[in-house]
Amino acid sequence: MDEIELISQVLKGNMNAFTFLVNRYQKLVVHITGRLIQRQDELEDVSQEVFLKVYQNLGKYRNECKLSTWIATIAYNTSINYLRKFKKFDEVNPDDSVALKNLTDAKSDDYERTDLHLYIREQIERLPVQYRTVLTLYYLEEFSYQEIEQITGMPEGTVKNYLFRAKTLLKEKLKFVVDENSLKSVKEISNEK
Amino acid sequence: MRNEEIEKSIVQSFRTEPNYHLPADFTRKVTFAVERQIQWKNDLLEYLYLSIIVAALISISIGLYYYIDKAMVMKFYSFISGNVIQVISVISILNFILFADKVLLPFLFNRWNRI
Repeated sequence: MDEIELISQVLKGNMNAFTFLVNRYQKLVVHITGRLIQRQDELEDVSQEVFLKVYQNLGKYRNECKLSTWIATIAYNTSINYLRKFKKFDEVNPDDSVALKNLTDAKSDDYERTDLHLYIREQIERLPVQYRTVLTLYYLEEFSYQEIEQITGMPEGTVKNYLFRAKTLLKEKLKFVVDENSLKSVKEISNEK
Repeated sequence: MRNEEIEKSIVQSFRTEPNYHLPADFTRKVTFAVERQIQWKNDLLEYLYLSIIVAALISISIGLYYYIDKAMVMKFYSFISGNVIQVISVISILNFILFADKVLLPFLFNRWNRI
């Protein structure tokens, strides 16, 4: 079922079509809301709110962008509102020195217990919310810079800047902790993939 | 080389799905919530239409009666103006019964069923 057909069916009140829509875009919504709010216990309620808004506003969707972009916008705004409500959203430009401090201090022998891949994923969760947002939208959901601009309202230059800074921060962190042993594990992981 | 390996690993981690999950019955719950909302809107509309129809019928009846028996209507009017509080109370109670029947009780039953 294509997007237009799906939307018209939902607007006609076909609940099976809406169920199909929820199933199709559930992962997208979970990735965005999960990465932003970072609370498994609240994830269901926030995701449900997103789909309720999708249903209520579907009549206003004007086909100017992909449906996934439109739903991602709703998921992003709902998550940001949630963070604002609990004062966890820093509106100003993220401070990289603070962010770097926030990344955990890992010792090289930590890699003997866990793999580097897992370690980096943990560090991603500790990045400022703006970085996590653009990383999720760009790498995980494969949205273009223009689409991310549409979703978040951040100018394209800022999106690129955040992507670069997030990567630099992680590299900076890893530069000091990756030793020969961990480099081996990196190669092992790379070979596995 | 070392930098390239690190970069490759970072990008791989970026592309890995975060560890957040929704319950298996999430779709059913969302669909149910939407259906409940639609039902609630319909109930509210039905209540509003019914209230408007009843109010219109009463007004038309009084209007017609005014031409048939003016004295009776004037008596009725003076009764209302003499017992404003009682009349308003009765109208409010009747209105609340209608509202509870059409909107409030179906809404609460739906909510209890969900729990």
